Amino acid sequence: MKMKKLLLIPALAVAASTAGASIPINGFIESKCVIQSDTAGMFGNPTVDKLSTKSADGGVMPIVRYDIVTASKYKAVITTPTSFSTAPSLSDTVDWTSTTVAGQMSDAAMSIFNTDKVIYNNGHTTEFDLVKAGSVWFNVTSEAEYGYGKAFPSGNYTALIVAECIAK
Amino acid sequence: MRFIVLLLLLTGGYANAHQFTPTYPELEMSHMAGVYKADMVLLNTREDIRYYGLNVFDKDWNPVRFATASKIVPLDYRERKYITIYISNREVDKAKYICSKSKILLTVREPSIVSSRICSKLK
Repeated sequence: MKMKKLLLIPALAVAASTAGASIPINGFIESKCVIQSDTAGMFGNPTVDKLSTKSADGGVMPIVRYDIVTASKYKAVITTPTSFSTAPSLSDTVDWTSTTVAGQMSDAAMSIFNTDKVIYNNGHTTEFDLVKAGSVWFNVTSEAEYGYGKAFPSGNYTALIVAECIAK
Repeated sequence: MRFIVLLLLLTGGYANAHQFTPTYPELEMSHMAGVYKADMVLLNTREDIRYYGLNVFDKDWNPVRFATASKIVPLDYRERKYITIYISNREVDKAKYICSKSKILLTVREPSIVSSRICSKLK
C-alpha cells in the first residue's frame, strides 16, 4: 500500500505540471476610444491685449491624444474655448480664434483626419472621422484678443477645451 | 509601431486618460418590470479628474430621462467602476447615446483645461 502511494507522487507531479502548462491567457480586444490629456496648455501674453497658446507667442499648445482601437467606430469632436472659465472682471468683448489639427500620429495614413475634417461653430468646433486605428495627437491653438488693443487686466485666466469621442 | 500601441492599449498603459465602454451597449430587461438597463464601465486615469457626469441623449442630442446609482460618479485616479444605466420603456425608443463627461473642479487652476466626453451608441 505504501509503495503504491510512493508511485502516485511522481504521477501527480507530472499531472500538476501538465495542468500548470495549460493555463490559458485570455485577451479581448473591444472597440473603444480613449481620450488622454497629453499636454496641458498655457497662455502666453505676447502683447497686452492678447493671450495665446502658440509657442511663438510664449504659450504652450494643449495636446489631446486619442487612442482608437477599431477604425471607423468613433468620431472625435474638439471644441476650443469661446470664453474664460475663470478670469478677472472684463468690461470689453474678447475675440477668440483657434485651430485644431492632427499632429503626431502612429500611422501616416491618419493624415486623412486633417484632409476630411469638418469645422463649424464659427471655427471653434472641429470634427474628425476616426477612420484609422491607432494613436493620434491633436494640437490645439487658442487666441484671445481683448477689445481694441485693450490691456487684459492682471489675474488668473483659465479656459476649457472639450474633447469628445462619439460612437458612430 | 501599431503593435506597441495595441499592447499599450491592452495593458491599460494610460497616463492621463478617460475610457468609457462598451462602444455599442445593448439594452436588456432589468429586474424591474418595464425598465431596461445597460451595463457600462468607466475608467479614470486622469490625475486631475475626480468626478464624471453621466447623461443619456436621443438622436438629436436632447436629454433622455434615466436612472442610475449616481449621475455624478466619484472616481479616484486609476479607478474603474461598473455602472448600470436604467431607462424606462417609455423612453427606451428615444435613447441613442450614453455619455460620460469629466467634471472639472473650480479649484483646478491650469490655464487650459481639457474636458473629455465619451459617448457610446445604443444599438
